[in-house]
Amino acid sequence: MKLNGKAATIVFLGALLAGFGFAGQTAPKPLSGTVTLSGAWALYPMAVRWAEEFKKDHPGVRIDVQAGGAGKGMADALMGMADFGMVSREINPEEVKRGALAFAVVKDGVVATVSARNPLLSEIMKRGIPRARFIEIWITGSVKTWGQALGGNPSKAAIHVFTRSDACGAAETWAAYLGKRQEDLGGVGVYGDPGLEDAVRRDPLAIGFNNINFAYDPKTLKPVAGIAVVPIDLDGSGLVEPSESVYATRDDITGAILRKVYPSPPARDLYLVSKGRPARPAAAAFLRWILTEGQRFTAESGYIPVGPEQLEKGLSILK
Amino acid sequence: MRIRRRRALEERIFKVLMAASAIAVLGGLLLIVGTVVVKSLPALRLSMLIQTPKGGFYLGREGGILNAIVGSLYLASGATLLAVIFGLPIVLYLNLYARPRSAMAVFTRFSLDVLWGVPSIVYGAFGFIVMAALGLRASLLAGIITVALLELPIMTRAMDEVIRLVPQAMTDASASLGATKLETALKVVIRQAMPGILTAVLIAFGRGIGDAASVLFTAGFTDSVPTSLLQPAATLPLAIFFQLGTPYPEVQERAYASAAILTLLILAISLISRTLIRRISKHSVR
Amino acid sequence: MRRFADVFARRAMRVSAAVPGLIVLVILLALVGKSRTILGLKSFAGLLFGSSWHPLRGDFGFGPFLSGTLWVTLAAMVLAVPISILTAIYLSEYAPRRVRELAKPMIDLLAGIPSVVYGVWGVLIVVPFVGNVLAPAFGATSSGYSVLAAGIVLAVMVFPTIIHVSLEVFAAVPQSLREASLALGATNWETVRHVVLRKGLQGIIAAVVLGLSRAFGETMAVLMVVGNVARAPKSLFDPGATLPSLLANNYGEMLSIPLYDSALMLAALVLFGVVLVFNIAARIILVRVERRSE
Repeated sequence: MKLNGKAATIVFLGALLAGFGFAGQTAPKPLSGTVTLSGAWALYPMAVRWAEEFKKDHPGVRIDVQAGGAGKGMADALMGMADFGMVSREINPEEVKRGALAFAVVKDGVVATVSARNPLLSEIMKRGIPRARFIEIWITGSVKTWGQALGGNPSKAAIHVFTRSDACGAAETWAAYLGKRQEDLGGVGVYGDPGLEDAVRRDPLAIGFNNINFAYDPKTLKPVAGIAVVPIDLDGSGLVEPSESVYATRDDITGAILRKVYPSPPARDLYLVSKGRPARPAAAAFLRWILTEGQRFTAESGYIPVGPEQLEKGLSILK
Repeated sequence: MRIRRRRALEERIFKVLMAASAIAVLGGLLLIVGTVVVKSLPALRLSMLIQTPKGGFYLGREGGILNAIVGSLYLASGATLLAVIFGLPIVLYLNLYARPRSAMAVFTRFSLDVLWGVPSIVYGAFGFIVMAALGLRASLLAGIITVALLELPIMTRAMDEVIRLVPQAMTDASASLGATKLETALKVVIRQAMPGILTAVLIAFGRGIGDAASVLFTAGFTDSVPTSLLQPAATLPLAIFFQLGTPYPEVQERAYASAAILTLLILAISLISRTLIRRISKHSVR
Repeated sequence: MRRFADVFARRAMRVSAAVPGLIVLVILLALVGKSRTILGLKSFAGLLFGSSWHPLRGDFGFGPFLSGTLWVTLAAMVLAVPISILTAIYLSEYAPRRVRELAKPMIDLLAGIPSVVYGVWGVLIVVPFVGNVLAPAFGATSSGYSVLAAGIVLAVMVFPTIIHVSLEVFAAVPQSLREASLALGATNWETVRHVVLRKGLQGIIAAVVLGLSRAFGETMAVLMVVGNVARAPKSLFDPGATLPSLLANNYGEMLSIPLYDSALMLAALVLFGVVLVFNIAARIILVRVERRSE
């Protein structure tokens, strides 16, 4: 009887206290300030979406999103010029040494692209291009014609190779898939993901690469008008089997990344990097929101969610 | 006989070459302006001019370039103002106060010559170093300071050329009437050289608003209109640079519209400065 | 009171006159200060002429960028100098006054067009022209993004500089000399060749040097059409990169790779130095020309 009474009082008091604490936490605190994100084009569409949704709950916060490449994002974050750098590649030890703290927020991938007016388009879509050939196109430069690219095709049409001129995660990730670094990629350098895409679109003989969310039109979910996504011949069979044919729509490719059919790299985690723990309350709140409620919007924006353990790790660092 | 024919032939050949060259130059101008006009005509709607981009400037299918228009106007105006505040006193000092061969005058003129030739990307890089040292973020303020640095030598050189033309007789007359140097400067020299000074300000403004390399690192970019000096500001040149290379026509339209606005601005500045010189020159004393 | 204002104004103006010198010093200090790190580890000549640009391996050879800059600038000057001078001669010696007065504002307008707009024109018209018309005509394949495309765009950008200065130089040649030449039976063209050009030669050289310095430092328009490849070009149709384009493209990587920021600031310093030398030289020549005609 006595034990029950004591236990009941404790439970009752505990509930009361918890009730107060709970009420205190859900009392709306008007959040204000500016949050700046800068960096990779890969994260740009997601960041813009997150900013829109976050501002619905917190209209007092101003969020500026700029793209300039993952390199710029990292530089801005480390120099305190942006609250978060959007980085679409792995973080270097040198960057960690300078204080970079990375939070995995979503996953996406890089795909190879050609112009929809490529004279050999049907061949390319039917046979795909294996990784070894990509290396010969971008790294060694030994493949100089489309005939060589497709292996055993008589075409003498030259390949116009394109890459990124800005320091970016897409190029770094594509290069990582080919076993190298961005500076080892050959080809004409064009500024920005949309810039590279436009250059490829205009040149029927071009080959390039893009982030998924720029290669696929967010409205139609198909490749952007004028662009075709090159299937990777994963098993080197010389043909794109149905299991390898995952490029028709954005959902196909994101599904393939989720199921690990599409390799990582060129699929990869995307990070928000800050110098140390985010100090400003608006920035910290935004990041916390991204790691929790913001995850709702990833699939419809064309991204793959990261594993819950990674989100947990991020949240625990934030505390 | 043969010599005369050869000389005539030579003359004719070169006349053709000269005509061709002149056509190349003016044709180039028409081609450039024409390309911008043709590409931007479908994009110049009212909504383009009064809305900011919706959905991110790299991806958004709707909205316009208000962010860049306002950002550029704020930035260039601020920078030009800053440049005038320092530039006008410098030029007045060089022409009215300092002895022409004094070490200070020579050194200042030399420095202005040096600064005049510095490429805008170097100003941008320098601005970036200063920002990093001061802990400033990419902002309207950082952009204003950097562009002011760019505009200063241009403005002072143009002002210097006009103020030098003020007849010595005038300044002497003013001094003989008992005016202090400051009064001479303000009431006589500036008034006489006003069209030239305004032109110098306009030229510098035009240069400042059109330059991309100096703001690339310093002013940032944003979808919104800046409401404070410490926020990043979109600018028309960067609006072109960032939105031109894209497969999305709606995004590209914003780039063309920005190019059209910039070109129109430069045209306007050119016209205004010409009419200014012509009109007020009629009233100044020769 | 008036006296006080005058003295105050004099002091204030003196202070502001010190500003340009201060700015030059601070810029130099900042660039040199940042460059010291890499200069302490590698030789300046090695950096300047090194042909390998692989920052991740610690190779910071500027050679490819200097080469690209030279190719682009040379192409631009070869195109711009004859056309500009011929145009200036035409406007100064042959054209009726109305045409000259009409042409001058148009040339000033060319001078005022921002470099990004030139870049737009370059991407839309020049790059396809080089890739689809010029390259095949010479038996080469090119995507159009090339040092030639950059040269063409730069040439048009440089026209107004050279024309403007040349016009001033020609105007400074005394009319009496022309009249004397014509009186001796020379044709208009011979007068130009033997009198005007000879007298104005130094000024023309200054105009060309000024144009050269403008071309050397131009960033955005070149960046948009040159191809941005960190390898020395071997032909006009090859893509390349210039020192300014290096700065604009790569400042993002500055903190991720050791020594990168120092290398880039050294590049900025080199650019600063070269352009400085050109401008001073041109200025000296022009001042001398001015003085002689007074």
